[in-house]
Amino acid sequence: MKLRTFACLSAALVCIPALATAQTSPMFSNLANPAIGMNALFSGQGAHNLDGAYGLQFDEAEISLISVVDPYWTFAGNIVFAPEEVDPEEVWVRSTSIPSLQLKLGKLRGTFGKHGLLHTHAFPFVQAPIVMANTIGEEGFKDAGAEAAWLTPLPWFSELTGGVYQAIPADGGQPLDFGSTQHDNVPFLGHFKNQFDLNDATTLEIGQSLLQGRGTDEHRHAAYGADVTVRNVPPRSSNQHGWILQSEYLQKGSRAGGSYAREQDGGYASFQYRLSQVWWVGIRGEQARKSFTDFLVDDTGASIAGKVNRGSVNVGWTPSEFSFVRLEYSHSKADAGVHPTDDRLMIQMSYTIGYHPAHAY
Amino acid sequence: MKSLIRFALALGLGALAAVPAFADLKVATSLTDLASVAQFVGGKHVTAQSLCRGYEDPHFVPAKPRLMKAIQHADVFVSVGLELDSGWLPLVLPGSRNPKIQPGAKGFVDASEGVHVLEKPTAGVSRAAGDVHPLGNPHYYLDPKNLEVVADHLAEVFSRLDPANAAEYSANAKAFDEKMEASLEKWETAMAPYKGAAIVPYHKNFIYFIDRFGLKEFGNVEPKPGIPPSPHYINDLAEAMKKSGVKVVEYQPYYNADASNQVAKRAGGVSVEVASEVGGMPGTDDVFSKFDVLVSSLAGALSGKSGGQR
Repeated sequence: MKLRTFACLSAALVCIPALATAQTSPMFSNLANPAIGMNALFSGQGAHNLDGAYGLQFDEAEISLISVVDPYWTFAGNIVFAPEEVDPEEVWVRSTSIPSLQLKLGKLRGTFGKHGLLHTHAFPFVQAPIVMANTIGEEGFKDAGAEAAWLTPLPWFSELTGGVYQAIPADGGQPLDFGSTQHDNVPFLGHFKNQFDLNDATTLEIGQSLLQGRGTDEHRHAAYGADVTVRNVPPRSSNQHGWILQSEYLQKGSRAGGSYAREQDGGYASFQYRLSQVWWVGIRGEQARKSFTDFLVDDTGASIAGKVNRGSVNVGWTPSEFSFVRLEYSHSKADAGVHPTDDRLMIQMSYTIGYHPAHAY
Repeated sequence: MKSLIRFALALGLGALAAVPAFADLKVATSLTDLASVAQFVGGKHVTAQSLCRGYEDPHFVPAKPRLMKAIQHADVFVSVGLELDSGWLPLVLPGSRNPKIQPGAKGFVDASEGVHVLEKPTAGVSRAAGDVHPLGNPHYYLDPKNLEVVADHLAEVFSRLDPANAAEYSANAKAFDEKMEASLEKWETAMAPYKGAAIVPYHKNFIYFIDRFGLKEFGNVEPKPGIPPSPHYINDLAEAMKKSGVKVVEYQPYYNADASNQVAKRAGGVSVEVASEVGGMPGTDDVFSKFDVLVSSLAGALSGKSGGQR
């Protein structure tokens, strides 16, 4: 009896997957599931001015999903899991059927500047330039809205982007105040990018950006940016050698009573050099004026603004396309606060699984 | 004023006359080999250009905005398929803002369709094995027979998009196949003495050539696809080659020549630089001359009479 029961049970177990397939496949298919990938970032830092725990920390994990919606749209989503929040950083659809024009709508990373378009794991240095967090946001300007990017008929790559966004006030990650609730407050963006081939290996890219809206104080608030990038990728060793020379200036300000007041501004210049398939080195100099940063505090520990100069050097080891380890040192000088200088040593590790779309050139 | 208008008209007409006659189809491809086949099949009705240059690693083409601009008005885009161009095409194709060539549109062609694919993973794919291609080895353009499949496929696509010239496309594809068959006979004769000989390609991109001409792959200079060799690995590989009497290492212009030369030197053999793709080296202007140079370089190296660095 026991043997018969066991045989029946075994037969049932063997049949379950077949039954399940038979029942589910006609109705539900996973063949059109999106491409899925995940990136995780970990880091550790030593900095004598910071009153925080030392040791390895989890920075974020980003899940990315991308797929074709239909013959007219592509869908992409990046959901970021950080220690204290879950952020639908980007969730957008992009048109695929309009000649010379690309529409993008949803929760976007606004097309502003150069560094502001990068995901955290694609930053060339562990720390974002200080001016970023003080002007458009450490990870760029992120808001719900719509953008149209027109590839102009000029003989070189020349792209003009215009965008409109939801009116949102400044918060921790978004320094621009676009929070006026007046019906005519539509924050807008303009971006103009031109790229030229200097030779077979080297390109020159020039970009200008503008972002403007009305704040909770009903004044005009705006950010302006200009960037220049010269990049060299030798075609015979595109995976082994090359360099990137990049510089960017950003400014945030507001207009009240007809006069414009510059609030925060600054810029950086960086040089990255690829020594081999697995080794990169980089150096960056930057300045941020009237800006806030973590070590700029008064004797009560309150955050204050000042002028900060910072120099950073790093070395990266990328044993494969899907992981890297970076070691970085930075030295900063400030003209305010109780810490006139700041030195810190950082290590960062990045790991990617699944499908990960290529980063923009 | 009248003379000014006349001058402007004359200038305009002159400029129009100077514009070259437009081809019926503007074709862009991800690889030079595909552009070469497309040009042969399309003849005077097609202008074909490749985004990746022959001396550029097709796995790592930088997705420069220039490439998007280059295909903004293309009628056809021919992808090599099998995810060889998946590192850069997902940026370049949408960036072109050209609805005619997006995947699913009539002008998008996956050239790997109909090709007999080698090294399709039979078990699950893991990156522990390196940067493996989950759909199989995508370097099928190193088997001349596969290019015949591509030519026939392109003739069908061009005929569908430009029915007025369909007969010409079909005739050109037939002529391509015949020329390839005749050339293949010549190349097989040249490689016949080396049937069964083992070689060491830098990357796992030579299996189609090896399979077609009866060679054997002893190993690769890369320990795993996409992973550069360590000094320890180079030493072990060279020792193993020495023990087995394997003498030839081959690499492409975009791979690390130093590592290939070191392996060959320690193994007491030769390393030879060969073009896998059209335009990779001088004298490889189309798919036929590419195989001419490739067969002659490898046959020379295997015979011990010529070859690269010892």
